[in-house]
Amino acid sequence: MIDWEPLILTFKLAFITTILLLLISIPLAYWLAFTKSKLKPVLETFVSMPLVLPPTVIGFYLLIAFSPSNSFGGWLNDWLGLKLVFSFEGLLIASIIYSLPFMVHPIQSGFSNLSSSLKDMSYVLGKTRTTTLFKVLLPNIKSSLLTGIVLAFAHTIGEFGVVLMIGGNIPGKTKVASIAIYDEVESLNYAAANTYSLILFALTFCILLVVYLINGGYLKQFYK
Amino acid sequence: MIEISIQKKLKSASGEMLLNINTAIKKGSLVTLYGKSGAGKTTILRILAGLLNPDHGKIDVNGATWLNTSEGINLKPQKRKIGFVFQDYALFPNMTVIENLKFALNKGEDDNIINHLIDIIELGELQNRKPDTLSGGQKQRVALARALVQKPSILMLDEPLSALDSEIRFKLQQYILKVHKEYNLTTLLISHDISEIIRMSDKVLEIDQGKIIKQGKPNEVFNYKELNAKFQFTGTIIEIEKQDFLYILTIRIGKDLVKVVADESEGQQLVIGDNILVSAKAFNPVIHKIG
Amino acid sequence: MNILKGKIEKLTVSGSLTLIGIEVNNIGMSAIVIDTSEAAPYLKLGNTITVVFKETEVIIGKGNTDNISLRNKFKGIIDILECKELLSKLTINTSVGKISSIITTNAVNQLNLKVGSEVTAMIKTNEIMLSE
Repeated sequence: MIDWEPLILTFKLAFITTILLLLISIPLAYWLAFTKSKLKPVLETFVSMPLVLPPTVIGFYLLIAFSPSNSFGGWLNDWLGLKLVFSFEGLLIASIIYSLPFMVHPIQSGFSNLSSSLKDMSYVLGKTRTTTLFKVLLPNIKSSLLTGIVLAFAHTIGEFGVVLMIGGNIPGKTKVASIAIYDEVESLNYAAANTYSLILFALTFCILLVVYLINGGYLKQFYK
Repeated sequence: MIEISIQKKLKSASGEMLLNINTAIKKGSLVTLYGKSGAGKTTILRILAGLLNPDHGKIDVNGATWLNTSEGINLKPQKRKIGFVFQDYALFPNMTVIENLKFALNKGEDDNIINHLIDIIELGELQNRKPDTLSGGQKQRVALARALVQKPSILMLDEPLSALDSEIRFKLQQYILKVHKEYNLTTLLISHDISEIIRMSDKVLEIDQGKIIKQGKPNEVFNYKELNAKFQFTGTIIEIEKQDFLYILTIRIGKDLVKVVADESEGQQLVIGDNILVSAKAFNPVIHKIG
Repeated sequence: MNILKGKIEKLTVSGSLTLIGIEVNNIGMSAIVIDTSEAAPYLKLGNTITVVFKETEVIIGKGNTDNISLRNKFKGIIDILECKELLSKLTINTSVGKISSIITTNAVNQLNLKVGSEVTAMIKTNEIMLSE
C-alpha cells in the first residue's frame, strides 16, 4: 500500500495555489491588458520569467530570500512569525510565482481579445469599473478563466525543481507527489514510483481532456 | 443646446491631423456627421461620450458643463447622459436581449421604459435570445433600444446602418426617427449615405481632416433644391452621353442602374462620379408586381 | 428645367392630396402634390414658391387651346428653335419669362413652327414640382 500523503499534499497545494493565483491574476491581467503605462513590458517580462528560467533558479533565489539568516527572511520570521523555508507556506508562495504566467497569460489574452467597445459601452451605460469587470468582462472570458485555472492547477501538480529547492522533502509538509516519486526511485522502489506516476498521469490526462473538450481546442494557443 | 469646442491632435494614416471642432447643436435636432472615413467623425462622438479626452476644449450640454479643460472639469462617461450605438453594436454576448436592456437600467429605476422600448422597437419576440443568434438588423435594434433605456440627453449613432441591406436600413431609419421624436432626443448620427441624410437629418456637419468644412440643412450642404417630389433617390453618375440638346445620364442608385434625361444646361455641369439627387413626381412612375 | 416663381393663391385639400393654385405674374397655374399643409409647412396661402417642370413635359399648341384639359397654359412667341433629327428644342418668350420645350421634330414640322410663331406652352398639373 502506498502512502497517500504526498498525493493529498500535492492536490491541496495545487488547489490553494490556483485559488490564490486567480485572485492575484485577474487584477494583474486586467492591468496588463488595458494599461498604457510604460512599465507594462517590464511587468510582463517578470510575469513570463518562470516560463523560461529553470525552476531551480527560482527555487534558489526564493530560498536565499526566505532564509531566516537573510534580512527579508529574518524580518518575516521575527515580525510575522512566518518561516517560509522548508514549510508549506513557502511552498505555496513559490508555486504561485512559478505558475503565475500560466494563469495570467490566458486571462490577459482573454481581456485583450474582447472588443474594447464592450467596456466602453458599459461605461457609457453608467456602470463602474468594478461592475463592468464582474458583469461584462469576466463572464465573457469564461473559457480563458477555465484555461488559466486548469493550466495553473496542472502545472503546480507537475512542479519539481522549485519544490525541492524551497520545500525540501518533509513528509506531510512539503513532500509532494513529484518528490515522492523521485524518492522512491532513489530507493529503487519502482513499484511505488510507478503507482504515484500512474495516478498523476491519469489525473492530469483527465483534467486536460476535460478542458479541451469544454474549450474546443481553445487551449492550443497557450500551451505549446 | 449643445455647445462643442474641442481640439485634439490625432495620428492618422496620412500623418498628424488636428481635430478642431466648434459648433452648436440645437436641442431636439437630428444632426448628421458626414465625411470620408478617417475624417474624425467617430473621434468627435467618442470625445462627446467622454471615452476620449481632447487636448483642449469645452462641452456644454443644456447648460451643464461636461468638459472644460481650462477649469479641469471632465465628467466621466458614466456621468454623461448619453445613449451610444456603436458601429459593432457592442451587445454583451453573455446576456440575453432583455438582460442587455436591464443592464442599462440604473438601480431603483422604473423598468416600465424597457417594456415600452420593447414595444416600439418591436423586440418582443427576441427578448430571450442571445446576441450571437441575432441578425445585423436585429442587433442594431437591440443596441438602439439599450441606448435609450436611460433616457439620454444625447443619442449618438456611429454609422449604425452601414452594414445593413437597404430594406432593413429603411426600416431602422424609421425606428430612429420614431424614438428621436418620441423621446425628444438630440441625435447625432454618422452616415455616408446622402439619401439617408436627406431623409433623416435637420442639420449636416461635413467633416474633413478634423474640421467642419460645411454645415447647414442637408439641401444647403449638398447643394440641391428641395423639391416636394416623393420619388427621390441619390445616385452616382457612371456615364454621360450627349445626344442633340439632351444629356442621357446613367446613374447607379444602390444596386440598380437607371437612365435619366437631362437638359443641356444641367448636363454641362455634370461629370462622371458626381453624386446627384434624382426626383420625379409620384404620379409618373408605372408599377408592376413582380415575383 | 424650367423654373418660375409664384405665389400660392389657393389650397384645396382632399385626403393626402393638395391641389395648389399658384399665381405666376398674374397668370394662374395649378399643381397637385401628395402632401398637406400639416406635413409640409411651405404649403401656406401667400407663400412664395418655385415652380419647376422639365422641358420634356411641356406641350406645344397652336391656335385656340381653350378646349384642352391642361390647366397650365402660357401664350408666347417662339424665340429660338433648334431642330435635330428626332427632337427639337423651342424657347418661348411668355409673359412669365422664357419657357423651354422639347418636342419631336415631326411635331414641329406638322404644326409648321418657326421662330416668331405664336404658340401656347402647356404643362399637366401633375408634372409640376414645387420647391420652397
